[in-house]
Amino acid sequence: MKALLKLNDVSKTFLTEDIETKAINDISLEINKGEYVALSGQSGCGKSTLLSLLGLLDSPTAGQYWLADNDISSLSRNQRAEIRSKEIGFVFQSFNLISDLTVLENVMLPLTYQSGLSKAVIENRAKVVLEKVEMGHRKNHFPSQLSGGQQQRVAVARALVNEPKIILADEPTGNLDSKNAESVLQLFEQLHREGATICMVTHDPASAKRASRCLEMFDGRLIKDSINSTIKNNAVSTLEVAAG
Amino acid sequence: MSIWLDIKYALRLLFNAPKFTAMTLGVLIGGLSISLFTFSFLYTSIYKPLPIPEGETAKALAVFEDGKYRYIRSFEYQAIKDNVASFAEFGVYDTGDMRINIKESGKSYYGSYVRAGFFEFSRIKPILGRTISENDTLVGAPAVAVISYEVWQSEYQGNENILTRSIKVDGINTDIIGVMPKDYRFPNMSKVWLPLLNSVLLESPQHSEYLYGYARLKAGVNIKDAEQELTQKINQIYQRNVKLFDLPKVEKHVKLLTFQMAQTGNDGAVAFAGLMTISFLILLLACINVGNLLLARSIERQKETAIRAALGAKTARLVSQLLWEGVIIASVGGLLSVLLVGAALDYTEVAIHSWLPGGGSFWWHYGMDGATLLMAVVFTLITILLSAFFPAWRSAHQDINSTLRDGTRGAQSKKAGRVSRILVTTQVFLVALLMLIGSITAFISHKFINLEMGDDYSNVMTARFSVPEKKYPEPQQQIALMQSLIAKLEQHPNLVGVINHNWIGASKVMLEGHEYLSEEDKLLIDVASLIGDSATVGVNLVAGRQFTHLDKSGNRKTAIISQSMAKRYWPGESPLEKSFTVNINDIDERVFIVGVVTNRMNASAMFGSRDSADEIYLSGLQFFDPYQILLYKTLPNTQQPEEIFYQAMFAIDRSIELTYSVQGASENRNKMRESMGLMSEITFGTGFFSLLLAMVGIYGLTANSVAQRTHEVGIRRAVGASDRDILRMFLKQGGKQLIIGLSLALLIFALISFGFHKFTEGIFPVYIYFSQALTVVFGLTVVVMLAIYLPSKKAVIMEPSMALRYE
Ligand SMILES: Nc1ncnc2c1ncn2[C@@H]1O[C@H](COP(=O)(O)OP(=O)(O)OP(=O)(O)O)[C@@H](O)[C@H]1O
Ligand SMILES: [Mg+2]
Repeated sequence: MKALLKLNDVSKTFLTEDIETKAINDISLEINKGEYVALSGQSGCGKSTLLSLLGLLDSPTAGQYWLADNDISSLSRNQRAEIRSKEIGFVFQSFNLISDLTVLENVMLPLTYQSGLSKAVIENRAKVVLEKVEMGHRKNHFPSQLSGGQQQRVAVARALVNEPKIILADEPTGNLDSKNAESVLQLFEQLHREGATICMVTHDPASAKRASRCLEMFDGRLIKDSINSTIKNNAVSTLEVAAG
Repeated sequence: MSIWLDIKYALRLLFNAPKFTAMTLGVLIGGLSISLFTFSFLYTSIYKPLPIPEGETAKALAVFEDGKYRYIRSFEYQAIKDNVASFAEFGVYDTGDMRINIKESGKSYYGSYVRAGFFEFSRIKPILGRTISENDTLVGAPAVAVISYEVWQSEYQGNENILTRSIKVDGINTDIIGVMPKDYRFPNMSKVWLPLLNSVLLESPQHSEYLYGYARLKAGVNIKDAEQELTQKINQIYQRNVKLFDLPKVEKHVKLLTFQMAQTGNDGAVAFAGLMTISFLILLLACINVGNLLLARSIERQKETAIRAALGAKTARLVSQLLWEGVIIASVGGLLSVLLVGAALDYTEVAIHSWLPGGGSFWWHYGMDGATLLMAVVFTLITILLSAFFPAWRSAHQDINSTLRDGTRGAQSKKAGRVSRILVTTQVFLVALLMLIGSITAFISHKFINLEMGDDYSNVMTARFSVPEKKYPEPQQQIALMQSLIAKLEQHPNLVGVINHNWIGASKVMLEGHEYLSEEDKLLIDVASLIGDSATVGVNLVAGRQFTHLDKSGNRKTAIISQSMAKRYWPGESPLEKSFTVNINDIDERVFIVGVVTNRMNASAMFGSRDSADEIYLSGLQFFDPYQILLYKTLPNTQQPEEIFYQAMFAIDRSIELTYSVQGASENRNKMRESMGLMSEITFGTGFFSLLLAMVGIYGLTANSVAQRTHEVGIRRAVGASDRDILRMFLKQGGKQLIIGLSLALLIFALISFGFHKFTEGIFPVYIYFSQALTVVFGLTVVVMLAIYLPSKKAVIMEPSMALRYE
């Protein structure tokens, strides 16, 4: 099976006041369609940075990135926006809900940027995903009126509402109790079974074990890549991890 | 120690945002400078103590007659001068135009007629000789004059032997007895001082003149008491004479004003208050803008403030932290404004002295002074209070918990966002209105400056004077004097024509064969009296004849009317020999039309076209007024054309009192146009500045509200919004504010221009208003949209991952 996304010697360097931070250091990686990838590593090793590169929120300073056979650097800003709105669902480490919009409006947001959807359709789909994360009863609240865990679940709902092909989640269960964490993980597993590709950052080894593939980073590099054979995978991945 | 840290922190914040700092400073300096300049200019013009020793105690006398601004009468002064208990000094003077002849050539100077004590009142001694004493004011005393330093320098090249010289003042040989120091022009702009003779004070109440009064209070007397005493004394003496001399019955009321205020006819207070209000509003606008910019910044740091509060910082400490940024900006702004205003005042000083060769009133010395500096401090403090203290205080009193609870900025920023949106809308409204009214004003002044008057004043000179009624009490004598003056003038080889022309004013007219049921039904038409050929001033005959020497009293009363009047009331027929009744001095006079002349601009037609109002000319030999204007046309290139009049006048009667120097007839008009131009330039300058201020304000507010939403833009883009989606979002919001502001402004403008259009009888075609409104709408839309587009573009260009880190 073809790789859904492919990184080739990708680096990301941040320049702040003469200090160079190499957050991503020559990473080469392929993720196939249908894979469920868990990404771990110590704080500051570059996980969030990698995720935002994968989610087209940022561009690499060096190397190539192919997403579904498209060279990302050749895409226009509009094309990238369109991919973000249709193909990618992103759960941020810090939720990033818009404070002036209600829970429901926040969840509806990605769909409003797609053309050809009526307001009723958008609202319905948003309500459905909100029910999935058990936040339907709070749909008219503002984010500031929710607890941290509730905000996280709304953020997950927003990532799922456009039925993305790839879900990029940055510690989606970090603020949740075990029960809520479990329901989010089950949601991911269900999506995974339905064919979605998932890449999730997690510090919890138990959560990582439920993924089909585990990546570990250290200081901007991939240092470990293992397949969890106990997980039934939709796709057989060909592993190509660049030597750390 | 901690304060020093706060100041350092605020300085770093300001240096790190140079654009914000520059913009805020610009807005503030603009507002402060306008207010400060207006204050300083008006204060010097109206309220500042006179620049003479003990100037703050020198007062001018205003005597209101039934509320009308007048002066003290000579007989009143004569009766009370020695028994006003409140006054330490009390005197009168008169002013007038003085003609000084040296050899053949002459020059007119503005001068004063003064009495002993006058120069002492001003506490300044002559640099040469002596001043006017009691003996000089005796009837029959040798004629003497005190001259100014400027006259001494320009006419006599500073000759030390000047006191042995005599000059001709108004054709009389006069001894120069003293020279006053440089820049001495007391009571306002005098260059020559002559004695005010005792005979003026001894005149009977009927013929008594109005004189300017001045006084200093005795120590310990307050102004109110002095005014009361004088009011009572003057009323008493006046009422006693009302019956004896058949004087008009009036109630008098005395006020003691500063010399400057007296010069404005007591209207200075109103002008001062009005202009100060406007400039204060501009300062307020600036403060609101600066305050909102600072508030926006403090909201950006709200989370930081909340954390500090959570860590135990006291409110006072937090306020101080937030305050310093505003305090530094306001102080720097205040300092720079003082420098700017100082330069502007110096420039004004130079400009006024080059514009008015005589230097104007002697207190017109513009420059930075103590009062202005004090005001600068007050204004800066107000600015700090309005634009720094309130935002800081508000920010420090936020709900710490709700701010810290979540990653959002919460309700506080939402409220601030609403305030900022309302402010932008209000400013759009104000700017639109300002621009609309400004453009109409520009149109009016343009129209006035280029007004076609319907006459031709080239090579025409004007002499304004009054016939001495004591010497010529009978109208027939006055007319005879005028006729001999005209005859004398006509002897001059260079003279083309001479007329005597006086506007009598709008008068009630009844046409023959019409019923007029009430006073209001009667026509109101501008009337002038005329002796001589009106073609002298370019008003040409189109039918009938001009007045002749036969149109005199005793004969049938005649009139000449303007073309517009002929067309309006006798359409399709000749108005000649028709008659109508015109009310002059409360008497209905029946007059017969003997001629028709071309239309002119007159007072009633000022806003309309030339034919929108009519003119009636009556024969000056039948309707005579002792106050006279003589216009005479000379051959082109006549040297010293004013000398023609002076020579004729001195030959006929020296006692004719000129009210103004003889000058080119268009000169007055040009001066008026010039001052109109200057006024409109000043209004324009201020208007333009406030416009700029509001523009910067709108831009700053919009840019800030866009920048504040950078994080939100990041989120929206992360979930798939395209650049266009984001821009559209901002433009839509800005558009809403624009539309609300513009519609309000257009509504008010429509009302104003509708009223104006009616009032001016359609002086401007309707499309002018539409095109002005359209231009303003278009211009403002472009500016506001640009103010939204530019910062939005910047927010959009940023990578979403960067924008998401933006807090
Ligand atoms: N915009 C930026 N400017 C400068 N440095 C950055 C920026 N973003 C990330 N970094 C740096 O890059 C490195 C990787 O950051 P990243 O957020 O990817 O870490 P992480 O693995 O997600 O850590 P955590 O588990 O704590 O979330 C860090 O050293 C961070 O300081
Ligand atoms: Mg991270």
